[in-house]
Amino acid sequence: MTEEVDMSGRSIDGFTVRDTLAYDVERHMWVERRPDGRVRVGMDPLGVETAGTLAQLDFVTAGTAVARGEAFGTLEAEKFVGPLVSPVGGTIVAVNADAIEDPGVVEREPYDAGWMIEIEPSDVGADLAQLVCGADSITERFGQRVQEYRRDGVLAE
Amino acid sequence: MTRWRLLRDDGVGAAEGLAVDEALMAGHARDAAPGQPALRLYTYRDHAALCGRHQHLHAEIDTEACARAGAEFNRRPTGGGAIVMGAGQLGVAVITQAPVEKHPKLLLEEFSNGIVHGLAKLGVHAEFAGKNDLKVDGRKIAGLGLYLDGAGGLLFHSSVLADLDVEFMLDVLATPASKLGQAGVDAVHQRITTVSRETGQAWDGERLREVVALGFAEALGVDLDDSDLTDSERDRAVALVEAKYSTDDWRFQRTPRSDATASAVLRTPLGRLRLYLSMQGDVIKSALFTGDLNAIPEELAEFESGLKWTRATVADVSALARRTLGDGTAVGIGTDEVVRVVLAAADDAVHRAVAAPEREGSCYFPEPNPETPTSESEGADR
Repeated sequence: MTEEVDMSGRSIDGFTVRDTLAYDVERHMWVERRPDGRVRVGMDPLGVETAGTLAQLDFVTAGTAVARGEAFGTLEAEKFVGPLVSPVGGTIVAVNADAIEDPGVVEREPYDAGWMIEIEPSDVGADLAQLVCGADSITERFGQRVQEYRRDGVLAE
Repeated sequence: MTRWRLLRDDGVGAAEGLAVDEALMAGHARDAAPGQPALRLYTYRDHAALCGRHQHLHAEIDTEACARAGAEFNRRPTGGGAIVMGAGQLGVAVITQAPVEKHPKLLLEEFSNGIVHGLAKLGVHAEFAGKNDLKVDGRKIAGLGLYLDGAGGLLFHSSVLADLDVEFMLDVLATPASKLGQAGVDAVHQRITTVSRETGQAWDGERLREVVALGFAEALGVDLDDSDLTDSERDRAVALVEAKYSTDDWRFQRTPRSDATASAVLRTPLGRLRLYLSMQGDVIKSALFTGDLNAIPEELAEFESGLKWTRATVADVSALARRTLGDGTAVGIGTDEVVRVVLAAADDAVHRAVAAPEREGSCYFPEPNPETPTSESEGADR
């Protein structure tokens, strides 16, 4: 994975993805490896679109240990109140207070100003191996998810 | 055929009712063997006022009115607005393991189908409408909510209006209609209906229970086994009452985004309307038009309904206005003016929230904020 972030990304069926990121496609989270060894985590545009308007975001405080698959916060969206599940284990070292103050930033800039937390990972290699990485895999798995949502009516045709 | 547990409860207290639902979720963590899904159909003891997960309780519930009426109040784990529960309303809870492969939106619709099927047996044809409601001919008959916990458990909540004492509801909830007297009651009746009203017979939650149970069995293709709480579930519920639902930390908790309300006047050839907005941050949580008209035009009602959960931005409100109001013919004024009034009220509310983030008591019907007039013509009306 390169350290230089692809700021533009590419579109899969109307949703922007960045090939430099790793995705938890089922939980709609992305992971970015940072130059300092930390990882940054946020919600992908498909998750944002299907959750509906984000009214509330709440993250645990920096310094909290989180395991892969554990909740690092909660969201209240149009359709549900639910957990934000960490795709990577480690210690949370930063939370995006701007996103808590204005969850709309996650809708507008999910990959940039709308990031959620930064983690000092405990075993990033093992965790990334569980995620979807690389252009071909992202195209296949992310695209499949979009198609499923269109088929099931989660996304409008 | 899949078998679900069916739990029945009546006359539960506010904390107890919520705690039992959460206690049942503990058996459905994602890393545990899938437990038998549970359908709990229950009524609260008259009365319980319950605000949504991230609401400011004092802004939504008149706790002094609750004290006078002997009503309890508490906070649900699910989102959405404040409601009143009692013998007239059937509480519906589905507790199961959250399927990762199925989006929450589908789950919300799937479980609400159980209620739709049940009501259909009475000739009451409800449909999934708006953001998270069941409606009959445009009037809300049930509210829906979904809560997914961090461990993988799922709780679907609904309040089905078998009947409703509207005056009582307006007394204990701090809704915009609460201070409007008969006009407020009329406004609620235009937007809400009940099984009693639809059938012309007296219904309550207990009577409605078996109908809804049958609806779930048919719609979801499940067999329901009569069930009761296990000892461990009961113990867990008691502990949750003690540690969570009876505590002020839970009931009065404040969330990062403040909520506030404001109103603005919309002048139309049909009459003068006042729009009341309730905001959470920049998201509209509820909207109500009241005024000179006996009934607001259908298009405006659709616009009002659509405002709920819309972000108060020019782009989002304008898109909704174009979709629901078209060129504005139905209300006799251009959609740009409607949008302007909505955004003015929203802006006013946001400024109030910033100015008084720790206010207590009902924040409805605030005095006009002289620093944020919505227009020259409206200043005197606000």
